[in-house]
Amino acid sequence: MNNPMRWIFGAACLALPIVLVVSWVAAAKARLAAADPDAEPQVAVAAAADEDYCSADLRKILRRVLQSCGLQSTGEVRGCQPLEARKVATISGADFNALFTPLADRAGIIQFDVASSELDAQDIALLDRLFSDQRGASYFLVVARASPDGSAATNRALSQKRGEAVLSHLRATFDDPDLDKEVGLLWLGEEFAQLDKQFCAWQRSGPADKCSSTQLNRSAFMTWIDCRI
Amino acid sequence: MKPTPALVLFLLAAAAGLLFASVSTYDFVQHLDRQLHGIHCSFIPGLGTLDASGVSGCSVALMSPYSSVLRSFIWGGIPVSLAGMAVFAFLIFRGLDLMAAGQQADPAAALRLLMICLIPVATSIGMGAIAILELEALCKLCVGIYVASFVAAGAALWVWMSARKAAIRAAFEDDDPVEDWQASSPAQSWLLAAVQAAVFVALPLGVYLAVVPDAEGYVGSCGSLSKSDDPYDVLLPLDGNTGGRAMIEVLDPLCPACRGFEQRLEASGLGAQVHRQALLFPLDNSCNWMVSSALHPGACDVSKAVLCAEGRAQEVISWAFEHQDQLRTAAAADPAAPREMVLAAYPELTKCLSSAMANSRLNRSLRWAVANQLPVMMPQIFIDGVKLCDEDTDLGLDFALSRLLGGVAQVQATEAGP
Repeated sequence: MNNPMRWIFGAACLALPIVLVVSWVAAAKARLAAADPDAEPQVAVAAAADEDYCSADLRKILRRVLQSCGLQSTGEVRGCQPLEARKVATISGADFNALFTPLADRAGIIQFDVASSELDAQDIALLDRLFSDQRGASYFLVVARASPDGSAATNRALSQKRGEAVLSHLRATFDDPDLDKEVGLLWLGEEFAQLDKQFCAWQRSGPADKCSSTQLNRSAFMTWIDCRI
Repeated sequence: MKPTPALVLFLLAAAAGLLFASVSTYDFVQHLDRQLHGIHCSFIPGLGTLDASGVSGCSVALMSPYSSVLRSFIWGGIPVSLAGMAVFAFLIFRGLDLMAAGQQADPAAALRLLMICLIPVATSIGMGAIAILELEALCKLCVGIYVASFVAAGAALWVWMSARKAAIRAAFEDDDPVEDWQASSPAQSWLLAAVQAAVFVALPLGVYLAVVPDAEGYVGSCGSLSKSDDPYDVLLPLDGNTGGRAMIEVLDPLCPACRGFEQRLEASGLGAQVHRQALLFPLDNSCNWMVSSALHPGACDVSKAVLCAEGRAQEVISWAFEHQDQLRTAAAADPAAPREMVLAAYPELTKCLSSAMANSRLNRSLRWAVANQLPVMMPQIFIDGVKLCDEDTDLGLDFALSRLLGGVAQVQATEAGP
């Protein structure tokens, strides 16, 4: 090693990786020091769905219905009767039904037999399919009705039984700890927001040819609502 | 002083090796700033588009447990490519030294050069085997290093054979016995070469250890779960451990980063100290409303299969990780393909996979993430509810996890209070 060139080559070759790695580490340290430790991450945070159809009007009505019907205030399913629903919705029956128009893909109608609140196999299939397709929705609204046959009091009681039959099935089948915070019941009897024939095109458990106004309102309308309220 | 063609080839190969190793080391060191970076992956070092997706062979190799050593000791460990830089710099020095000392025709000096070349050749064989057999990934920068190592060794062989041939010829012409030059390799020359090699490798590694930033303060500083209990019964056991610290892994069975994490955790050996549970969070908009498109098509179906498997959930997740490349390729052409593939492997899950309960349970899994307001990115790891920082799930895993398991999680949990 008496040739100075050999020393120069040795020093240069030894220094090269050291100089490079020190400069790279120094640059990384500078970036690390410059980074804001409190900066919010640039990624979305998991949250319930809030779809475009959740208009201010829809939210307002839903908030009133859900609070007044027990869901939001106590976290328990209580349900609303026709008078309460009409009062809290502060809109006509037609406008009330129109609120659900954007939910055609998320909603379904269970059609009951005359004076019955029992779920048959088709009803259960539709109910299970719809309920299991929750996605990011926060609320499952069940709006039970009765046709105008019979007295208003009888129909009010019948629609309540229909709503509760749906809830009982959900409770027995899905064992969902959030059920009582998610499911809102309204039983409207024959007194408020009867369904008209435009709902015949929606998902129903009844046969295609059984869709008179009377048959359509022996029902429980149900839908997930993808709105944060 | 004029180099022979063989020596020129040797120097060029060593320089190429140094260049490939330097680019790889640069990519590694970039990550010390705890941010995301694209990774070079080209046969022309430094050129080509950067891979930020993490799917290129270079990303897989860089993030693998084989890219560095002493990972529990410093954040990320010491990159093996830095040692590669040092070795190639040493080869260049030895080649230049051979030329400067006028020893190109000295068979003993040439033999030492050849022997030194066996270091990168043996390393390349070992790392190449790992890449093929373990990682199943083609890292172009690594291949560049392997090729440079072999070419340098071939050139060194050429230098030695030329010198040997010249020496034999000279020996016959001088009527000297051939053994004269064969015996003319003093032990101190070999010793000197060994010391030089040690200095060339140890000094850069030592300097790296001295200047690398301290990451201790970041461990356990990335938040914690607000609701770590499991009312939805969606946390799936991933091991048979009954004791140890509770680790929750939020994962997508078709996410390459989740598979990479699994491999790194296994390689770290720290898995035995924890009781692991998985929460499924498929990044597929067919079930997950929190993503606008299917980042991993078919992940919902595979996740449902995992949930349906109940006690065999770990087996199905392992299967999905093992076949992830095939599943992802098939899903790119047909999003329903993963469903068919998982049912072909586990036909007993057919009925459950189509059931309302499977949908509902997967939905509850996603709602668990909502309840904890988790960021929509995978994987996410929690030790006793304390989050392992996302920056620590790859290169810094061994460093951060060993410290979390060492007590940071307990301290954080205590500070958080009931």
